[in-house]
Amino acid sequence: MLSIKNLRAKVADGGREILKGIDLEVGPGEVHAIMGPNGSGKSTLAGVLAGRAGYEVSGTVTYDGRDLLAMSTDERARAGVFLAFQYPVEIPGVNNMYFLRAALNAVRRSRGESELDAGQFLKLVRQKLKLLEISDDLLQRPVNVGFSGGEKKRNEIFQMAMLEPKLAILDETDSGLDIDALRLVANGINKLRARDRSMVMITHYQRLLDYVEPNRVHVLSGGRIVASGDKSLALELEAKGYAGLEAA
Amino acid sequence: MIAPLKQDALIATREAAARRFVLPTRRDEPWRFTDLRTLEKSLFPPAAPGADAPSAAVQAAYSSGAPAQRVVLVNGRVAAIQGAHVARLAERLELVREIDDLGPFAALNTAFVEDGIVISLPAGASERIEILHWGAAESAGAYTRVLVELGAGAEATLVESFAGTGNYFGNVIAAIRLGEKARLRHVTLQDEAGAAVHLGAVKADVAEGAEYEAFVLMLGARLSRHDLVACLGKGARCAINGAYLLRGQQEATIATFVDHAAPCAQTSEVVKGVVDDRAHGVFQGKIRVRSDAQKTDAHQLNRNLLLSPRAAVDTKPELEIYADDVKCSHGATVGDLDEAQLFYLRSRGIPEPEARRILVEAFAVDVVDLVADAPARDYLMRHLGRWLESGR
Ligand SMILES: Nc1ncnc2c1ncn2[C@@H]1O[C@H](COP(=O)(O)OP(=O)(O)O)[C@@H](O)[C@H]1O
Ligand SMILES: [Mg+2]
Repeated sequence: MLSIKNLRAKVADGGREILKGIDLEVGPGEVHAIMGPNGSGKSTLAGVLAGRAGYEVSGTVTYDGRDLLAMSTDERARAGVFLAFQYPVEIPGVNNMYFLRAALNAVRRSRGESELDAGQFLKLVRQKLKLLEISDDLLQRPVNVGFSGGEKKRNEIFQMAMLEPKLAILDETDSGLDIDALRLVANGINKLRARDRSMVMITHYQRLLDYVEPNRVHVLSGGRIVASGDKSLALELEAKGYAGLEAA
Repeated sequence: MIAPLKQDALIATREAAARRFVLPTRRDEPWRFTDLRTLEKSLFPPAAPGADAPSAAVQAAYSSGAPAQRVVLVNGRVAAIQGAHVARLAERLELVREIDDLGPFAALNTAFVEDGIVISLPAGASERIEILHWGAAESAGAYTRVLVELGAGAEATLVESFAGTGNYFGNVIAAIRLGEKARLRHVTLQDEAGAAVHLGAVKADVAEGAEYEAFVLMLGARLSRHDLVACLGKGARCAINGAYLLRGQQEATIATFVDHAAPCAQTSEVVKGVVDDRAHGVFQGKIRVRSDAQKTDAHQLNRNLLLSPRAAVDTKPELEIYADDVKCSHGATVGDLDEAQLFYLRSRGIPEPEARRILVEAFAVDVVDLVADAPARDYLMRHLGRWLESGR
């Protein structure tokens, strides 16, 4: 589903190298956790995969048989790549429902499907709210404006449910959440796990992995993947810390 | 000197005004940012009478649809009129006189104007009036004047729309007098033909406790300007909001001057600009708080969005304060679309042009939302939407 080979990213205009040769293979339906200390390049990796501007990128990324790096941000999204932002962006004046419908219809158009009218869209919204067991209180507000940290993350998961991606990259969707919000978000992720949906779950803490069990765990440090293993690697990290792992 | 002038009862007034008229230059402070190079060749004399009124479809497009007294002018002359409190200026020409503070184009208007609208509401009355100013002329002028007088406690909503076809020169002067505790909601849509010039100016005298709420949306004309001067009495309230949305090589100015001469009056002003391609937008806003105008509350803001590297904006918000016990603020911003917001929208699959349109719409809708009258607000939103859709 996703095959990354020797991916490097430098801050554009002569900045420093942040990703220093990443290799990663994610199969269909697999959930891979990427852990690592602050500043190790996790969000940069997520951003580069989603097409964020401002980096000089080399290496290859093949997604669903296509050259991902050659596609624009919105093309990637329409092809099924979804990034749950570590810091979701506030957009004053743009209603959440309006935004989601524009997004969903853009995706549907590109698949040759008909656009959903307001009624059909609302029906789908209700269905997804029910699936995730969340309330509709955020939907009529401007996108992310004045949302609490937990509400922003919940909104990201809701968008993922609506857009039904084939590859979801979740950037610290668990951080800054209290235990109830974490359960809500983790429950959402579990509900959305599917045979044809791969996930790259970036997290700083191992506690999310108590709720969402990954197929593989990788440790990113200094722009490189320094260790990979099954979920016991996460437990080992928890015990020794990143420093212990790097020393090993 | 300009000529020929109509040889009617007003001829002495017209001649005096024509003598006073001097084309402004960039050395004149109120005009220093406006590109006037192409103006002189557009100063056409009035169009001959007899042009066709716009079709029913056009009239419907330039109406809010709410029940109202409706007036249609063609090239500045009344083509259709209704309503007990609405009269033709052509029948009340003695009301045409010089209006101070509105600059040279008010003088030009005095020299040339032959018709317009007189609205006068007695104390306590209430009315909704919609005026379509239709221009349909090649190399000719549409001069008109709108006189509004509201008695004490009277309330009116006045929706004026400017549209047309051709390279006409549109010139409209409005003189508004609001009696004590009267209220006027004055909505202006400037959607003139792309080849036209539009120079409009409004003078509002707002008596004690009265309210003047103006909104102006500038979408059309190759060169346009909307001047607004308001003089506020004690405890009067004034809201001036608006937007200019420009593309191609359009040039537009909103210039306002609010004079607080008496205490306890309030002004709030928000003007937004969206400027694309090689267009140029100008905001000049001055609020003067005279020494007697204690407890004045006056706020002014101009925000601009530049959508292309060759688009330009000049903005000059200005406060002149001679009283000490006042609350006043002003500010101006000029910026691009927010890259983080664009990326977020695009990361959900929304193509870049649509993502840009969504953000521009949000920016502009925010100020149109300040229009309190719902039918007028919906009407402006409809034209704003049309402007957005007609983008590239
Ligand atoms: N566009 C950028 N410009 C400058 N520095 C950047 C940019 N993007 C990331 N960095 C730097 O790269 C490092 C890794 O950042 P990030 O990927 O956000 O780390 P993580 O998500 O693992 O905490 C940090 O030192 C960060 O400041
Ligand atoms: Mg990060």
